[in-house]
Amino acid sequence: MAKTPGGTNREGPRVSRRGLLQGSVASGAAALGNFAGGAAQAQADAQATGSTTPTVSFSINGKTQTATLDARTTLLDYLREDLDLTGTKVGCNHAQCGACTVLIDGARVNSCLTLMATLEGSEVTTIEGISDEGELHPMQQAFIDNDGFQCGYCTPGQIMSAIGCVREGHAGSAPEIREYMSGNLCRCGAYKGIVAAVEQARDQVEEAG
Amino acid sequence: MSIGNPVHRIDGKLKVTGSANYAADFSVGTPLYAELVTSTVGLGRVTSIDDSAARAVPGVRAVYSHANPLPVDAADFFGAGGRAQQSWRPFESADVRFNGEIVGLVVADTLIGAREAARSMRVQYEEQDPAAVFGASGLEPEDLPDRGLSMGDIEQAMEASSQRVEETYTTYANTHNAMELFSTTAQWAGDELTVYVPSQWVEGFAAGIAEELGIDAARVRVVSPYVGGGFGGKGSLFTWTAMVAAAARDQGRPVKLYVTREQGFTTASYRAETEQDFRLGATADGRFTGFEHQGREISSRADTYVVNGGENTARMYHADAVRTGVTCIHADRQTPGFMRAPPEAPYFFALESGVDELAWKLSMDPVELRRINDIDAEPVNGVPFTSRSLMECYDAAAERFGWSDYEQTVGARTEGDWLVGWGCATATYPTQMGPCAVRIHFDATGQARVWVASHDVGTGAYTVIAQATALALGIPVDSVKVELGDSRLPPGTIAGGSISTASNVSAIEMAVAQIHDRMGTTAETMDPTAAFEAFGQRAIEEYAEWIPPAASRQQAKTLYNGKVAIVGGAEEDYTAFAFGAQFAEVRVHKYTREIRVPRLIGAFAAGRIMNEQTARSQYLGGMIWGIGHALLEKTEVDPRNGKIVNANIAEYLVPTNADVQELEAILVPETDTKVNPAGVKGIGEIGIVGTAAAIANAVYHATGTRVRHTPIHVEDLLPQA
Ligand code: FES
Ligand code: FES
Repeated sequence: MAKTPGGTNREGPRVSRRGLLQGSVASGAAALGNFAGGAAQAQADAQATGSTTPTVSFSINGKTQTATLDARTTLLDYLREDLDLTGTKVGCNHAQCGACTVLIDGARVNSCLTLMATLEGSEVTTIEGISDEGELHPMQQAFIDNDGFQCGYCTPGQIMSAIGCVREGHAGSAPEIREYMSGNLCRCGAYKGIVAAVEQARDQVEEAG
Repeated sequence: MSIGNPVHRIDGKLKVTGSANYAADFSVGTPLYAELVTSTVGLGRVTSIDDSAARAVPGVRAVYSHANPLPVDAADFFGAGGRAQQSWRPFESADVRFNGEIVGLVVADTLIGAREAARSMRVQYEEQDPAAVFGASGLEPEDLPDRGLSMGDIEQAMEASSQRVEETYTTYANTHNAMELFSTTAQWAGDELTVYVPSQWVEGFAAGIAEELGIDAARVRVVSPYVGGGFGGKGSLFTWTAMVAAAARDQGRPVKLYVTREQGFTTASYRAETEQDFRLGATADGRFTGFEHQGREISSRADTYVVNGGENTARMYHADAVRTGVTCIHADRQTPGFMRAPPEAPYFFALESGVDELAWKLSMDPVELRRINDIDAEPVNGVPFTSRSLMECYDAAAERFGWSDYEQTVGARTEGDWLVGWGCATATYPTQMGPCAVRIHFDATGQARVWVASHDVGTGAYTVIAQATALALGIPVDSVKVELGDSRLPPGTIAGGSISTASNVSAIEMAVAQIHDRMGTTAETMDPTAAFEAFGQRAIEEYAEWIPPAASRQQAKTLYNGKVAIVGGAEEDYTAFAFGAQFAEVRVHKYTREIRVPRLIGAFAAGRIMNEQTARSQYLGGMIWGIGHALLEKTEVDPRNGKIVNANIAEYLVPTNADVQELEAILVPETDTKVNPAGVKGIGEIGIVGTAAAIANAVYHATGTRVRHTPIHVEDLLPQA
């Protein structure tokens, strides 16, 4: 089993839903098991440092900040409720849907499953942080061009996940994209447009690195 | 010409940047947080609540329950002409009517505190055995004789048939599971209340919240400009919404509630399971003789809610005699509600499976069997369709699919270890409309603004409304700004029954006609600068109330009352439906029986299409819902205690990206001048309707196993011991 998101080892494999599943079939049990594991790990960490309100320094969309928080605070809740960065969405809080996907140190992660206490020194990028002075990120533009959404609720998570997917090298073909984007549910069923969008933006994202 | 063009969504930029505000995204300063506590027994009563641990959590402000209730009244049930999802309210007594019913509400300073407190509540119950599912003892059937249709002598017609299908089909319960979690944020300013809640019906919600709180509806504003998927699940007023508002009043602070995914399975509505007895007879040359469709549908103890799809299946094909009926089965469950194609999704699974079964018995191509029974007027009362392009859809989809290679032999095709099967089915949805008002402001710079309390639940309403306004005025689409989803706007329709586009566009065309009338302009010659100079004003504003011609006097009066009025479908003097034909290829693994859907092609004709791109996305999304309906989605209720055992989005399976392979929607051109002034039929629901039967029919073709229930799982295709 990979190290849980509650772990503090920045080098260790980071668990995201996709990392966990490596495929199309969602395993709720695995995701939940890990969620619990993450919480337990955080508690252990907190006990180790003797604090239930750790102080953590991290950056969000390039802005470095330090916060003292309840050790149970997830990145998702911190973004939405404390920073008012509501572009990151909440669909389950159990790492089952992908709506809350953000990039941590460049890799896609479910923010609902990530405890703030684990983010010391991390760089977090959210949907609000990928467009450049009003200029849309190529992946954002590709979602518009290909009608890769309907209600738009899963969309920030899909876009962050798509960027991560391309960077991982898992966007080689339509079947591969479908497989590696299956951790992001879209109840509206915009999957065809999502795959087309990833294909359209792939080269630009690869070039940008 | 802007109409029909595949204009990208005008709200696209907001959605891809994360700046579209959904209900839980609105900032209300520093709110208190609420968390629901739900029952863990399926029937009985709360005997004691120990909230000492909950109250000991730092920052907890209040614990509400039947022992410490909030001042909230019950509102009338949606299914009985009201607005509420059920006819009773939580906390009105100690009774527990179903598993997962709200028994407590905790309010705390922080989200974490509220969650911890809710989980610390110790609720004791006196538990009884619920009758929660078909087959349980203690269910209460209620016959609804006036909901059935009858024409001719059904027994005689069945006698006259040379082949017949007489089977029972069942569909399991489904849960909407929009990606957005349910939520409510309530904020008071004096005695003015603003509620942010995901809603497909802001007018009805505002009126219902006022009813529940016993205050003037004019003091309640419901805001829901972006909705993270609706599918019917946000169409009737949630029980918790007024509770949160009452808690906010009690606490003197804004209160925000997220309903967990699990709680969303039991505290909102769902598609109930059905059992359907179906009979269809045909002469040797394929002409249908008798048609009978009787449904049994689960509902709660208190509320009578049925979708009664026989009303529509009876209208599809020729028949010499027709009989339909429905029975409401009262059970210890929450009240169901509408979910994408409420009557059609379950009942067309039966009809279109049955027609396929008959085609096999007759040794006829299933497309040809439908052609033989194609009609111009519905058979029950002989009322003509405003337009019906069913066979055009079949021909377009069949050609694209390659249906001419169809061979009516089980297991005719294999590829490696996969058995390949093909199937088809009819899709339809009634064309409905409702009263709708819009205000349009147009100024000398050529900019227009449109206001209507309509909703964009992903349908593309913002874009289509801008396009319709631009076209009618004669200005570019990007000169139009649209505001939706706010109960303070002119009353629009509920976003349900696929009625929004037809109603909105009809109202917009009316308002714009008034503008042209006053200014002496036309769309073709519109030059805003010159026109306003000649008019002598810098701007003009017009308001229009559009009432569907078939609406009764009483229905017309619903406009400012937060009531629903839907007209259309099978009316006295016309029958209005959109049609489609759906073809599926399935692969069933020889050994594991895994089922895949490599190809799904649908062709749909729905009158005037406002935007090719958003329309196509609606069809495709509906078809993907059909894959879920056919193969995945099942809200599993434990018969022992009424508990939904898979109440999460990993175990309630919805289609993922990898479940969808080749998927195509063909837009078949159709002009309908009779259906409504806009010539528009609804497209949001039809895509799901034929998919499940097409897949089931293809599974039969591949394996020879006829599965008469949804969803179809691997175990249904294993050799029976
Ligand atoms: S909210 Fe994080 S995966 Fe669903
Ligand atoms: S666009 Fe609605 S859930 Fe994906």
